[in-house]
Amino acid sequence: MSKEEILASIRKRKGATVEVQNTVQIQASGWGGTELRKQFIENLKAAGAEVVCLKKEEVDPYIASTWENVLDFSQPEVMTEYTATCPLEKLNKIEQAVFRGNFGVAENGAIWLEDKDLPHRIAPFIAQHLIFKLDTNEIVATMQDAYRRMDLKDTGFGVFISGPSKTADIEQSLVYGAHGAKELTVCLT
Amino acid sequence: MMSHACKAKQFLANESRVDWHNRTLWLVRQKRDRVAAAVPEWEHLREQAASIKKEALANLDVYLEQLETEATRNGVTVLWAKDAGEFNRIILHIIQKHGVKNIVKSKSMLTEECGLNPFLHDRGIEVVDTDLGERIIQFRKETPSHIVLPAIHLKKEEIGETFHEKLNTEKGASDPTYLTQAARRHLREKFLAADMALTGVNFAVAETGTVVVCTNEGNADMGVHAAPVQVHCMGIEKIVPKQDDLGIFTRLLARNATGQAVTTYTSHYRKPKPGGAMYIVIVDNGRSNYLGHPKYSDSLKCIRCGGCMNTCPVYRRSGGHSYGYVIPGPIGSILAPQKEAQKYRDLPFASSLCGSCSNVCPVKIAIHEQLYFWRQDLTQQKRTSFLKRFSMKVAGFLLSENTRYNLTGILVRWALRYLPHGLLYLPFNAWGRGRELPVPPRQSFKQWYEGRKKTKN
Repeated sequence: MSKEEILASIRKRKGATVEVQNTVQIQASGWGGTELRKQFIENLKAAGAEVVCLKKEEVDPYIASTWENVLDFSQPEVMTEYTATCPLEKLNKIEQAVFRGNFGVAENGAIWLEDKDLPHRIAPFIAQHLIFKLDTNEIVATMQDAYRRMDLKDTGFGVFISGPSKTADIEQSLVYGAHGAKELTVCLT
Repeated sequence: MMSHACKAKQFLANESRVDWHNRTLWLVRQKRDRVAAAVPEWEHLREQAASIKKEALANLDVYLEQLETEATRNGVTVLWAKDAGEFNRIILHIIQKHGVKNIVKSKSMLTEECGLNPFLHDRGIEVVDTDLGERIIQFRKETPSHIVLPAIHLKKEEIGETFHEKLNTEKGASDPTYLTQAARRHLREKFLAADMALTGVNFAVAETGTVVVCTNEGNADMGVHAAPVQVHCMGIEKIVPKQDDLGIFTRLLARNATGQAVTTYTSHYRKPKPGGAMYIVIVDNGRSNYLGHPKYSDSLKCIRCGGCMNTCPVYRRSGGHSYGYVIPGPIGSILAPQKEAQKYRDLPFASSLCGSCSNVCPVKIAIHEQLYFWRQDLTQQKRTSFLKRFSMKVAGFLLSENTRYNLTGILVRWALRYLPHGLLYLPFNAWGRGRELPVPPRQSFKQWYEGRKKTKN
């Protein structure tokens, strides 16, 4: 079998065991609370996202008054309507989709979503406009902190999303809305 | 096969395009420099990344088996392919098993390497490439000229022409936003109709059985979540041992590739969707031959960021297609001869050995050193041209002894001054083909130095 052949070839040739040099100390970015929030907002904007800073109680009214036909997937009853068996044609009609982000990453504006936050997994990609609710206390400094904070074993699928979908494949001109969301708004509380 | 120099000459025929190509890639390199400099621990991250990869390769068998165990436990089918032929047959088998009709694919250099699209095409199966750049070159029946920016060799007018023909966009329209939107509508239909999605893999985490795919467009996720069957194709070297390792690599990858802080989507696939099927195909295709190799094993650390291409003065001015291998640029020039030394024997010479590739490499592969080693090996194996080997021998003879060296100097200075142009620029003078020979000085440096000492004393 090919598996055995490949493994045998690896075993025959692989070099002496190397120890990973975890001795290299990677310094923390040194960003504290308000600095994290500032960096996060700056990096989200650089990635093409819009950031709205609100008080907790202002978020739902803001969303309701800004967009019509918005689907809020942080509400259980909306979730159950769009589960894994939901037809793609229906999902393809989603205009604005709201999700509660688990946490954000200051150094690049990425927000983590996993199976438990999602109805059909395609929802945050197929929606035309993506809206995240996120708590300022849920911002970590770097991707290293991000991977220490969560456990990939808890989810079948998980994604960091930073900004709207984009491409620069035509003459390096930046265009938003390649295949995923054309716009991304983060409501930061 | 036509040599790199010949194909580069074709690319260089259009001077304004070469200038644009050169400038645009240099801008990407400058963006990379800015975001890298904004991370104070950048050099530590590179050290750590190199070290993690080295350790992963030293225990590759253990980690691959661990990946298989974890993935199987998660309900994923893991398949192994020792070469391109077996890989293609495995994919065909999956297609037949699930009765697949419509296939969408996000970027995977591995499927390019294995020639999957032509293999399936010959059997009446069409694969739709969904990355915008890849779709463009698929329409044009071309190959990618860059591993991250596959259509960087094209101008928007040419793309507009292609889209007019294939997607019925307005004739003469070349606005990138307009063209991108047309592709979005066209490909969304393909996603919704897909019953199988193929992707490459950026990282596979042994500890959790997760595969990670990074895109800006969201095409990998659109395909994977829309289609009932998802297939992730990875080379054996894509392994990282632990979840925490992703923290290092995701900080480096996009910054080094395009100068972004991170790609828009960093997707982690671990279990199939409810009612769906998920496969991971692990491919060797010659990679294990170079594990533990004293000179070349480090090339397996590559994470395919394309940073070495953007910085390379030869790549920027010769274009990706001049290399004739699926992966162009400095990294391609050390990977290609591993596959077929004879066919790609001129690629290690397509370099100025300036070392810029090694300086930007996020996993610290000494690419320029490997290029130099390949030159030596290929020459010793007599794969380089006779003229090249002969002239090196002559040069070695003349330069290795004092009297011969001095005489040669006198002779050459005389020849450059007095011999007719036609004789100096005979066809075997490769240097003179694109360049003027220098104006010879009256005396050698040695003579000048001796003279100076005398006048001082």
